Amino acid sequence: MNTVVAQPPVNVTDSHLYLDGIPHDRFAALRAQPGIAWHPYGDPTDDSAGFWAVTRHAEVKEVSKNPEIYSSALGHTNLWDLEADALEARRSLIDTDAPDHTRLRRLISSVFTPKNIRRWGDLTRSVVGDVLDDFEAADGGDWVDLVAAPLPIRVILAILGVPIEDADYLVELSNYLVEGTGDEQSLPADAFGNTTELRLLPFNSPASHAMFEYGARLADLRRHDPQDDMVTMLVQAEADGEKLSASEFRNLFHLLIFAGNETTRTALSHGAVAFAEHPDQMQRLRHDRSLLDTATDEVLRWATPVLHMRRTATTDAELAGTAIGTGQKVVMWYASANRDDAVFDDPFAFDIGRGGGNQFSFGGGGPHFCLGAFLARLEISSLFDQMAERGLGLRQTGDVQRCPSNFVHGILSVDMEPMR
Amino acid sequence: MSDPVKLVVDAEKCIGSGMCEMLEEATFLIDEDTNIAGVVGEGLLPADRAAAVIDRCPASALSIAVQN
Repeated sequence: MNTVVAQPPVNVTDSHLYLDGIPHDRFAALRAQPGIAWHPYGDPTDDSAGFWAVTRHAEVKEVSKNPEIYSSALGHTNLWDLEADALEARRSLIDTDAPDHTRLRRLISSVFTPKNIRRWGDLTRSVVGDVLDDFEAADGGDWVDLVAAPLPIRVILAILGVPIEDADYLVELSNYLVEGTGDEQSLPADAFGNTTELRLLPFNSPASHAMFEYGARLADLRRHDPQDDMVTMLVQAEADGEKLSASEFRNLFHLLIFAGNETTRTALSHGAVAFAEHPDQMQRLRHDRSLLDTATDEVLRWATPVLHMRRTATTDAELAGTAIGTGQKVVMWYASANRDDAVFDDPFAFDIGRGGGNQFSFGGGGPHFCLGAFLARLEISSLFDQMAERGLGLRQTGDVQRCPSNFVHGILSVDMEPMR
Repeated sequence: MSDPVKLVVDAEKCIGSGMCEMLEEATFLIDEDTNIAGVVGEGLLPADRAAAVIDRCPASALSIAVQN
């Protein structure tokens, strides 16, 4: 077994790198190395501070599908470790292993199956119609502001049962959370009346406190006055006589708003940029709408809204011939796996007919497979389907302003004009 | 055409994602009470499609039944 691995000559964790887009050349260099590369991270004087950078598609899948070796519950699923009390306070579906994960996931899974997501099809199509009308009426503008941000937040809020007049407030909170994934925060620790230590809050952000409070209030309302919405379904959800605890509910509500909003916004933004850069692909979709499904996969592959997730080895293991030690961090770089030419022919070509169903933007195929995957697919496919239907093309009229984050592949703004 | 094989669900592992139900809706159904996938009827699929749905199951809960 190959136990000595050269340090990579590259750094992929510097958040500012991502202002210019994913550092694909660096990931290509990591993929080309034999075995798995050790990436220093954290204290530069501590040789043990770092993680195994898993960058090829095959090993991302292997790590993802072997949760008994590569745990989500230990340490943290982000690059840095959390102290035990913070991890406990922040624990959501993302940071659990079986059997807790299985129980929690099963409690709410029925809400998100492809079959049950179909019931939100009409609502989604109508939101898409509205935002595209707004975009066309304004003769373009910031695509994020006009289309990519309002679409998913309106859909998830409608599904959850949040009143539409609160949408702006929750978008604002969500924006602050994204900031929490970067290096700088603009909010004071006591913003929104927060009194919790920031390290106990998701994204170390006082906006998380505000979202918890909002979710708890809504849950109370629905407990007393059930409605036909997802918050009601969640407060009523029961499996094996168990219900969600208050802490499980608030972390899940937070997760749904953030993950159901921010990541889809990212996919819709990168998708728009891709179609603006490749008008031939929009023509193709216009002429063959049966490509919608593979086009959705390609938008997802292209966007990779979440760049990585981390696992922690529960035992000594071997990955691609490299020895992984108990307790070491193992980071799956979806951003890299989605450009692995061992799996994708000509990976830097945007090709809506690619197919294969093997993009890793919903994770590497293990039990933490994105809970909202089928909702995200519905939103993405509805948008590009209606654009094809309308014969609406896009011309990019400004630079892409990106998030300085090594975790989310966010686009802050990009100006677009409608083109017919 | 590959020969059909019989599939089984490990109810302990299933997380109810609905992936199998989406890929092979004539073969799998998520139970509305338990949110666990079950096999409809014989649970037979051509080997290539069986391999695909086994691979795509996020919970690694599907397998080919052991013949006695």
